[in-house]
Amino acid sequence: MLLFRSEAHLDRWLDGRPAGAILPLTQLARLADAWWSDRLAADWQPHSREQNQAILESVGLTGDFWRLG
Amino acid sequence: MNPIDLALRNATYKMFVELGRAPSAQEVGARTGQGTEEVKASWRRLHDAHALVLGVDGSILMLNPFSGVPTRHVVEANGHRYFANCGWDAFGIGAALHVDSLIRSSCPDCDEPLEIPVRDGLPDKTEAIWHVLVPARDWWSDIGFT
Repeated sequence: MLLFRSEAHLDRWLDGRPAGAILPLTQLARLADAWWSDRLAADWQPHSREQNQAILESVGLTGDFWRLG
Repeated sequence: MNPIDLALRNATYKMFVELGRAPSAQEVGARTGQGTEEVKASWRRLHDAHALVLGVDGSILMLNPFSGVPTRHVVEANGHRYFANCGWDAFGIGAALHVDSLIRSSCPDCDEPLEIPVRDGLPDKTEAIWHVLVPARDWWSDIGFT
């Protein structure tokens, strides 16, 4: 789960290996906000798998790669 | 998650935010009135529940999105410099604290520094990207590699 300067840098780093998923940072920021924003809340409760899957879907991350289990 | 584990989990997070680093079990015990062994036992249960990640010595390795050990992802926020576990967690620190942040990382390809200000939840315009190699179903199979 690394940050790269651009897709060209990622391609060079992969050196022919298959890529996983690539997100622009605006989408990553939306994901981070949805996933982590309650982490320090006094009434925090663990997320269920269904809740986490819904978070992924809420920022457009669907399909087999993003299926939590 | 039982109430004692939840309370110790919350105290551990609160202390991490305040200190800018992972607290020890002794420090959490002193803050909460629990014994060190009780804190360690609770942390082990939280580790098994994926609520935090312990190192082999039983100390805090990951208190997601915070890292208990130095990484290539540094986040300036809340008057501290925190380490994040990964690029996603680097954005997660500002999100969890509900503050603006400055992410300092580096590109694994060229090792050039990446500085990404995040204001009101959004990064400055950049060509930078995030890459995740491991499919979601396998994230916890080896969270360190993920």
